[in-house]
Amino acid sequence: MRKFLLIFALIILTASITLAERELVIFHWWTAGGEREAANAMFDVFKCAHPDVKVTENPVAGGGGVSLRVVLQSRLAAGIPPDTWQTLGGAELKSYVDGGYLVPIDDLWNELNYGNLIPKPLANAVTIEGHHYTIPLNMHVQNILYYNKKLFKELGLKPPKTYEELIQVAKAIKKARPKMYPLALGTKEKWEAAFVFDSILLEVGGPEYYVKLYKGEINVKKDPNFKKALEMFKELIPYIYPYHSTLTWDESCGLLVSGDSAMVIMGTWAIGYFETRGWKPGVDFDAVTFPQVPERILLFHPDTYGLAKGAPHPDVVKDWLKTVASKPFQVRTDVVQGGLFARMDISPCYFPDPIRKELQKYIITHPGRLILDQHGSIAPFSFTQAYWDVIAGFLSRPNLEKTISDVENMLELYDVKTGASWYKWP
Amino acid sequence: MTRGVFMRDKIMNFLVFVLPLLIVLVLLYGMLVWTFYVSVSNWRGTRPNFEFVGLKWYRMMFQIDRFWVDVKNNLKWLGVGVIPTLFLALLIAYLLELSNLKGFETYTRTLILYPAAMSFIVTGTIWSWMYQPDKGVLNTILRYLHLNSLQSGYITNPDTATYWLVLIFVWQYLGISVVIIQSSFRSTELQEMVESALIDGASRLRILFQIIVPNIRGGLFILMGLLIISALKVFDIVYIVTFGGPGYSTDVLALFMYIATFQQHLVAFGAGLSVVIFLMAFAVVVPYTIYAFRRWFR
Amino acid sequence: MKSRSQKTVKFLAITTAIILSIAYLLPIYVMVLTSLKTPYEITQRTYLIPSIDLHPENYAKAFSLVKNALLNSLIISSSVTAISSFVGGLSGFYLSRFKSKFSKILFVLVGISLYLPYQAILVPLVQLMARTRLALTHAGMIMSYSILNVPLASILMGTFFMSVPREIEEAAEMDGATKRQIFFRVVSPMAMPGYASTAILVFTQVWNEFLLALTLSTPQTATLQVKLAEVKGSFVALYNLQMAAAIIGIVVPVGFFLLLGRYFIRGILAGALKG
Repeated sequence: MRKFLLIFALIILTASITLAERELVIFHWWTAGGEREAANAMFDVFKCAHPDVKVTENPVAGGGGVSLRVVLQSRLAAGIPPDTWQTLGGAELKSYVDGGYLVPIDDLWNELNYGNLIPKPLANAVTIEGHHYTIPLNMHVQNILYYNKKLFKELGLKPPKTYEELIQVAKAIKKARPKMYPLALGTKEKWEAAFVFDSILLEVGGPEYYVKLYKGEINVKKDPNFKKALEMFKELIPYIYPYHSTLTWDESCGLLVSGDSAMVIMGTWAIGYFETRGWKPGVDFDAVTFPQVPERILLFHPDTYGLAKGAPHPDVVKDWLKTVASKPFQVRTDVVQGGLFARMDISPCYFPDPIRKELQKYIITHPGRLILDQHGSIAPFSFTQAYWDVIAGFLSRPNLEKTISDVENMLELYDVKTGASWYKWP
Repeated sequence: MTRGVFMRDKIMNFLVFVLPLLIVLVLLYGMLVWTFYVSVSNWRGTRPNFEFVGLKWYRMMFQIDRFWVDVKNNLKWLGVGVIPTLFLALLIAYLLELSNLKGFETYTRTLILYPAAMSFIVTGTIWSWMYQPDKGVLNTILRYLHLNSLQSGYITNPDTATYWLVLIFVWQYLGISVVIIQSSFRSTELQEMVESALIDGASRLRILFQIIVPNIRGGLFILMGLLIISALKVFDIVYIVTFGGPGYSTDVLALFMYIATFQQHLVAFGAGLSVVIFLMAFAVVVPYTIYAFRRWFR
Repeated sequence: MKSRSQKTVKFLAITTAIILSIAYLLPIYVMVLTSLKTPYEITQRTYLIPSIDLHPENYAKAFSLVKNALLNSLIISSSVTAISSFVGGLSGFYLSRFKSKFSKILFVLVGISLYLPYQAILVPLVQLMARTRLALTHAGMIMSYSILNVPLASILMGTFFMSVPREIEEAAEMDGATKRQIFFRVVSPMAMPGYASTAILVFTQVWNEFLLALTLSTPQTATLQVKLAEVKGSFVALYNLQMAAAIIGIVVPVGFFLLLGRYFIRGILAGALKG
């Protein structure tokens, strides 16, 4: 017991010593693999600009920051906030703003002229009631279809850009390789199923419809588009890896590497995954945006940092945010981590892989074609989470009527219309 | 003994024996009351909000299909998880006492105890690989043995997935259960009774059920209580192996509570679910506690 | 007659050992194989086939990642075990030896508190820790876990004391010893097996706990479980490192079991039954 008192005293002592210097207490979820290196790059750039600051990071593992939210929520509610923390834009950001945990950074935003440097939809994703709250450092795009390039070449197939083409390609693969499951999928964390369904929704209804649906402005029960999309989703089931509920997203991408599947719909972060498995972009695998009708829309979400209300070191946070907004920061961090640049004035040539080069070029020429995706969702989290479960459940028990009425009920129960009214698109 | 000394003795007894426990209980019950208080408030989102809304969240709960699926699953866990574990543990513990094989006891106990020493984050991952239908461990072995007909979809079939999860529970808790039963075997009275029964020529199976089981009631009782609590509160197995899937068919109340509180940001709703878990546990264990109470203070 | 039944027992024992070995060694086997693979090989999902080149360097890497966390877990788990067993012994003795209305009420309250769902008190617990400025320290985690484990320890020790014969205590009482003297000098030394099993239960519970550790920990106090989740990462799924780290981590609880194991040697009953 005496030992613990000693350790305890030591901790308090070190804590009080560190209080004297400039410090940045930061929470993020980049803990392993390529993400850890990205975090290192991020702090390296910051320390180079501000060598006097001591960075105290609290990395919390867990896909997409799920575990970080648990930690943060308890700490925020208990009144011990860090200086800044990683958050997605959209609904997650809004939940912190609603709680009064973030301070608007409009002055900093204007000083940096950041609104003109990044695509308008990205700026909208971190702007609530006219106030800017966080600085986005990257963008991840969700609706990308990866495929086994060598296999496609061997079978003489073209990567599908519409639902109809996807079915045709899947049929062709099934015929040539009866043991393969053409489309890989892992729905253990549920959101993966919604990714596939989103692509179908986007093709059936178009971008305006997509936004309206997640803003709760569509009566799903009477809506022909939603039903049609579900029917198409059901038609796709025979070509999907049947044991999807046992796999996480990374394991589902692994199905391509192991030769069990030929295609997967996943975000830009999958590029990094394939590379760690020894697959070369443009050689072993390639990617297309899916779907590309009625137009090529990119569903995206950003990683961002803001300023905590009651932050112990607000001045340091401002230095941090300025660094986050800077070119060298984004170049070094995003290239390693797997996202795209938030700023449009950085050359796409910094990316080593052809996939992101092409995506970044497309964003620079068509910044208006971005829509907030499932992760940084338009609808409030209370709805999104329950919605994922229903869509993932649909794949095991494809019951159209029940799914439609479930979604309708949830839209009402979680009051999506009010919760999502902040989102502006285009 | 004078009155003063007597009083001082009483106070000292209180300070030493009761006070630490009392502090812990006050804290625990305080938190429970707090949870109930939150469940009738309007706390949604990240900021605490204690505006009173009555039973609003409970009414909402009863309308949600997922809630009823969870209740059913929790009952399945209770029904299938507790008794088999108890029974298996009893037989194994008895066998360990009976057998004369060198090293058998140590080997077996170490073997079944290691899940308790190992993080479930990891053993859970391994189990999800064991169960994977296409390339997973169990089906690969069955194929290798040409027992293709025994292959199964395991946790991918929404109707039976929960039972496969319960099997992991049995696997995980068997070691600890055996140890608890073994420790309740150690009493001189029991030894004498068994010895005299053996002289009378009673069979070993009869000794187990007619002499040993009634005499280790206390230990079995504690063990069963532990298993019931663990089965009702089950969280990590479901969280890691299926995350409630396919869909929400293997979801349980504790996982729903976690998702509602921390992912959906419906803190009051999550608190309501905690209260339900507590009440369920309470309903199951009240008869049980009364029984213990009688035994303890007879 | 005797030899035949002894044969049956032997047969049963061997069968049981074989079945249990399969059920419990298979997961370990998969774990060890995985820990020696490369990420590419893990993607192949050939769980039962060892990789061609083994990669023992995974262990070195994993160890450097988790060594601090191992120490944290050891500090936290053993102090919680010590505190809970000690307090549990005192309360268990009280509950089983002092017969009053108050002790009856306490017993019911302890019994019920065993059924508190863990997740339910997570948010208030963190708030409590924050208020007392203990959050984010070793002491805070030790205190939180102790609060959660004292009721269990009390009940376990209480039942144990129930089964201990009371003649010696009564004799000591006749000699004028106080309850405290009886507890510390007479009962506690005899109750070592009870303490051992309580300690094992509490230790494993704390050692394996994840959710609370995740919420309360900082880089300085992160426990093994938190670190294990972190090692795998969300991005590249380094199962090989995670498994290697887990196998390294098993050393501590096994050491703990061995330490207390002598209280689990064959019971008195075993001698009688062998006949």
